[in-house]
Amino acid sequence: MISIQNVSKHYGAFQVLTDCSTEVNKGEVIVVCGPSGSGKSTLIKCVNGLEPFQSGSITVDGISVGDPKTNLPKLRSRVGMVFQHFELFPHMSITDNLSIAQIKVLGRGKDEATDKGLKLLDRVGLKAHADKFPGQLSGGQQQRVAIARALAMDPICMLFDEPTSALDPEMINEVLDVMVELAQEGMTMMCVTHEMGFARKVANRIVFMDKGQIVEDDDKDSFFGNPRSERARQFLAKILTH
Amino acid sequence: MYEFDWSSIPGALPFLWEGMKVSLEITACAVLFGIAWGTLLAMARLSSIKPLAWLAASYVNLFRAIPLVMVLLWFFLIVPQVLRGVFKLDAGTDVRLASALVGFALFEAAYYSEIIRAGIQSVPKGQISAASALGMSYAQAMRLVVLPQAFRNMVPLLLTQAIVLFQDTSLVYVSALADFFGAAYKVGDRDGRLVELLLFAGAVYFVICFAASQAVRRYQKKLNAHVAH
Amino acid sequence: MGYQWNWSIFGSTVPTGETTYLAWLLSGLQVTVELSLAAWLLALALGSLVGVLRTVPNKALSGLAAAYVEIFRNTPLLVQLFSWYFVLPEILPFGLGDAFKQQLAPLTQQFLAAMLCLAFFTSARVAEQVRAGIGALPRGQKAAGLALGFTLPQTYRHVLLPMAFRLIVPPLTSEFLNIFKNSAVCSTIGLLELAAQGRQLVDYTAQPYESFIAVTLFYLLINVIVMALMRIVEARTRVPGYLGGK
Repeated sequence: MISIQNVSKHYGAFQVLTDCSTEVNKGEVIVVCGPSGSGKSTLIKCVNGLEPFQSGSITVDGISVGDPKTNLPKLRSRVGMVFQHFELFPHMSITDNLSIAQIKVLGRGKDEATDKGLKLLDRVGLKAHADKFPGQLSGGQQQRVAIARALAMDPICMLFDEPTSALDPEMINEVLDVMVELAQEGMTMMCVTHEMGFARKVANRIVFMDKGQIVEDDDKDSFFGNPRSERARQFLAKILTH
Repeated sequence: MYEFDWSSIPGALPFLWEGMKVSLEITACAVLFGIAWGTLLAMARLSSIKPLAWLAASYVNLFRAIPLVMVLLWFFLIVPQVLRGVFKLDAGTDVRLASALVGFALFEAAYYSEIIRAGIQSVPKGQISAASALGMSYAQAMRLVVLPQAFRNMVPLLLTQAIVLFQDTSLVYVSALADFFGAAYKVGDRDGRLVELLLFAGAVYFVICFAASQAVRRYQKKLNAHVAH
Repeated sequence: MGYQWNWSIFGSTVPTGETTYLAWLLSGLQVTVELSLAAWLLALALGSLVGVLRTVPNKALSGLAAAYVEIFRNTPLLVQLFSWYFVLPEILPFGLGDAFKQQLAPLTQQFLAAMLCLAFFTSARVAEQVRAGIGALPRGQKAAGLALGFTLPQTYRHVLLPMAFRLIVPPLTSEFLNIFKNSAVCSTIGLLELAAQGRQLVDYTAQPYESFIAVTLFYLLINVIVMALMRIVEARTRVPGYLGGK
């Protein structure tokens, strides 16, 4: 589904990503972790072309992201993305947040888009809030709406960029529950997160990054059971003491 | 196609320089007086003496609601009468420059006072408490603690306002006073070369104001960097 | 000071006998309002375009927009006005300038030059506000719009601009007020707007105080009305749960 081959990226002289390669197959859940500044957020943003990269290639469903001829808006409309800071549109009601892209990008009718949005809102347990505005919801609620907004586009895969790191601790689980459910239904997911409990529960593989490089790319049992690199061991030890 | 002829400019440069001196004189005077009077107005607006605060607010809002051209016309009307009444000047004395200076200074004070008020309010309230806790009077706390901090933050805005003011001095044209713009217009009118003289005047204003605003921007960056550390 | 107040001048007829002095002032007020509103609409459109261009990821376009802003912000309004009125018609190619001078009525020439001058002058300031508004939005908003499949223009149209404009209503209000005040400068090219009618009244009646007081009151009235209107706009566009909203 997602194939990342030898991707490198630099801002001027500063190397952000160095020769990164990994795969996400259909129905797989991949968790990307690593210390802050390791390039994991940059890598996931390369997948839908929000960040350009200088060398290597990324294909999503066989379509090359780096190819200047690729219709990026069309590709992005098929790839759902959830952001650290939710990024709901503050001037629109929850209903409009859920339907605007369906209408303007996919060309769906207003009624169809609203119905679809409300169904997904119900699924994340927030149907009662349909007429509210983002500023009137808690962080955890906003992030669940953001997930519903992405799902409303019928994505072929989902990208999560630290979806719980801006949340108060008591709200993290309501978001993780939605993500676990999604994973169990077979959604293809690439998740940048520090939530190792989530990773243990649903991840197929763990990608560990440090200093712009993919240091480990292993199934979760070997990663948690016996990490090969010293850096991954230190990272896991640090996470546990938190 | 229009044929440009710039030949009347070199000979007119001394006259234009005299005009520029008038523009700069009005600017400097209005900036200095405007900041001084503006500071007093700002403190009056923030004062707990209600009538004083109300008077200052009325002054500021009135001047900010009227076009500068109208303010200048008012002062060209009033100032000569006052001066003649007080100093018994004869009717022939040219008091246009004095009128312009007074008009600009009082007008700009309203704008400066708003900048300064915001600057004073940007200083955390705890600073006054801390100064009072050290035994300072309100006036001392203002003068020694609050105003120095406020002015440091405000310098870029005060300078930007001075650049706007320098451009606005061209409006003394309504009183036929020969500032830089008035001088350029007179030369252009005399030689039938208004197009060239207006373009020249525009270019001179642009070079001065652009250079000044870039300098302010650099200073602001330095200030921000300083605050960040 | 021995000044003879005479408020009845406003009701007395002008020398040509067709109308009253008050009617002169009112027609000046009408010109001021029409001129300012027309220029404001143009300034909003131009300023939004230039402000957006300043934020786009294209060096040439954003540089061009920056140059536009610098030119109109760093020359005096009076120089700009005289350039529109005296310079441009002389140097316009293809007979356009001559057409302007010969085929348009003098009044139309003055109004057009004044309108374009105020519009361009103000558009540079509007552009700076629009740019600041867009810059004040969280960076992730643009990414979120793009990630949903919006094109860049769609992202501006549906995501960035609606919020940016809400943020900049207060500074736009003050630019809107400024355009009325700046329109008084247009009396210098002979346009008979409010300030010019006021001066004309002084020349005809030799009652400067009454005339200037009346004109000043009209400007204050404009100020009050514009502020009230913009307060309504601000209330209408307030976003629940955001900033001043509830």
